[in-house]
Amino acid sequence: MSARDDIRANNGPGESEEPPAEASTASLNRPSRITYGGFLDLVGRNVAPTIFLSLVVLASLFVKNFADVDNAAVILKQSAIPAIAVIGMTMVLMTGGIDLSLGYVVGLASIVSGILANTWAWPAPAVLAAVLVLGLGLGLCNGLITQFMRVPAFIATLGTGYVFYGVAQIVSQGSNINRLPKDFLAIGRTPMLGLPSAVFLALGVAVVFHVLISRTIFGRQLEAFGLGARAAALSGVPNARINVTVYALCATLAALSGLLFTIRVNAAQPNMGGGPFTFEVVTGAIVGGASLFGGVGSVVNSILGVLSIKIIENCINLIGVNYNLYLAVQGMIILVAIVVGNLSNRRA
Amino acid sequence: VGVLIGRSELVNLHPAARRGLFLLIPVAAFLALGSQVPHFLDLSNLLNVARQSSITGICAVGMTFVIVIKGIDLSLAGLLAFCPMIGGILMLAGIDPPTSMAVGMLAGIILGLFNGLMVSKLAVPAFITTLVVGQIGQGLALTMNGGSSIGGFPERFVFIGNGALAGVPLSDLLLLAFLMLGFFIQRFTALGNHIYALGGNEAVLRQEGLSAARLQFFVFGFSGFCAAVSGLLLSAQLDTVHPTQGDAYQLDAIAACIIGGVDLAGGRGSVPMAVVGALVIGCLRNVLNLLGIHPFMQNVFIGSIIIVIVYLSGTIHRHSELATRGTL
Repeated sequence: MSARDDIRANNGPGESEEPPAEASTASLNRPSRITYGGFLDLVGRNVAPTIFLSLVVLASLFVKNFADVDNAAVILKQSAIPAIAVIGMTMVLMTGGIDLSLGYVVGLASIVSGILANTWAWPAPAVLAAVLVLGLGLGLCNGLITQFMRVPAFIATLGTGYVFYGVAQIVSQGSNINRLPKDFLAIGRTPMLGLPSAVFLALGVAVVFHVLISRTIFGRQLEAFGLGARAAALSGVPNARINVTVYALCATLAALSGLLFTIRVNAAQPNMGGGPFTFEVVTGAIVGGASLFGGVGSVVNSILGVLSIKIIENCINLIGVNYNLYLAVQGMIILVAIVVGNLSNRRA
Repeated sequence: VGVLIGRSELVNLHPAARRGLFLLIPVAAFLALGSQVPHFLDLSNLLNVARQSSITGICAVGMTFVIVIKGIDLSLAGLLAFCPMIGGILMLAGIDPPTSMAVGMLAGIILGLFNGLMVSKLAVPAFITTLVVGQIGQGLALTMNGGSSIGGFPERFVFIGNGALAGVPLSDLLLLAFLMLGFFIQRFTALGNHIYALGGNEAVLRQEGLSAARLQFFVFGFSGFCAAVSGLLLSAQLDTVHPTQGDAYQLDAIAACIIGGVDLAGGRGSVPMAVVGALVIGCLRNVLNLLGIHPFMQNVFIGSIIIVIVYLSGTIHRHSELATRGTL
């Protein structure tokens, strides 16, 4: 630091307009929250809500037809499914891992639910239960591979993702299943207060997992494990169990969102979800402030992150820009979110 | 299995012998398959396998360097579509093939350097920045032509993918050229040495006063270049650019490196072996095709193989580390 300042101070008359080196380092060293007062501090501690609110305000001002009750309902409907999945991804990110197979669990859950509901004519509750168990099983695979075979999470889930995708394609024999039975569709489509039941299901799941992460011993242990596995183990945290549980829960929630996705489009498709869905969910979690290095994550913020990117998607649709641009825009958002997060961590 | 490996003499093998062992498995599998599957060992089929493996192989050359520095490049899927899409659109606009291809390659290098920037200067994990850059590339490839494919390129361009020189497909020669380029950098340049130092023992690098950032820029830029070249080659082979044509090669390129013994823990792995890995995958897919096994089932195989090999090599390392520390 000082060496660089010396160089700057010796730079000669060309830079004489700049303030002296001592002054500039002094202002750098002073914590920004004192300098800028309470408002920025408030924003800094609530990045996800701030992003969400500013997007709502900006979109309402500049995008025609955005500020509309029907449009809000559309956004909520579209957000419900990734919102369920993002909860699981947030927990996985909190361990410092990542689940790249999430989107493929969605596809497998979709085609399996279609086969059970249509071809085998199972009653809706049985289909729901079976799909959740399927997700649990797939998640256990991920968890056991990362924990006990010590394969890095991104490579393990990349591998299992291809496996799940292949299995989904084989199970479906290459075709979709359309026109699903009414009792099955009712799980996610029953209208309540003008919104489909899927939205309330997502809300319920969110409340349960918010409590689980922020108010229980499990949540505390998860956080401790993510911040430092060794310290956690020394304090008696059952690291292995936590790690496996988190992947299992993540895939279970992914399977649930696959089921609701199937209900929303009234078709069971093995291609559902996939890489783009995984990416959307990771983006939501990162925009919501979850750290890729573990330890940090919140259900509420992640869901606000998902709502934020769904608002952007909605605006892209409303403005009438080529929809394919959504992928690229998402990519840029996630990069900005990560870089800003890293820089602010570095300053702190 | 872990215990078995720990007790066996495998951990005490000389590195060259261990590399030989890695070679032995594919060769044995190759001969076993050859004797069982009709037409597999026909020269025309083998040249065809090599031609199909060239895409994966060229990607694997770049990927080897990335994995050696403990990174991973998940942007291949996007770059394999984005770079030829740019080149293809330019070619259809009447610009001559060499210039169009150069622009496509430049796009790959720039996106690769961007990955390098994120990893080195902004401390973003490689898997996430490359995943994101891949998605951006994929999104742009889809956007540029409204999600549909383009084709009908000049003959000169298509010849690169389908022509042959003295009976050997140009694709194979290109693969060989990249193999030699990668091997040369790895083995005969200071740059290669530094890259291995970065992956194996970063402290040494710092003591020597070398910048890790410059190496990371080079490695990711080179991987982007390889991806762009193989994407262009793929499009030349098919005379088409499809916006999702890269998806199939992402997993294969990683699998090629891992089968070739490139170590995800960094510092270990050779370019020629990664290319052998690509040929193994090519043979595997070819045999499974000849046996009539569906491509999706093949992905199930290859996905599982990756996990098993990473597990096994990780176990071997842990045990050999314990052994050298004398605690085993």
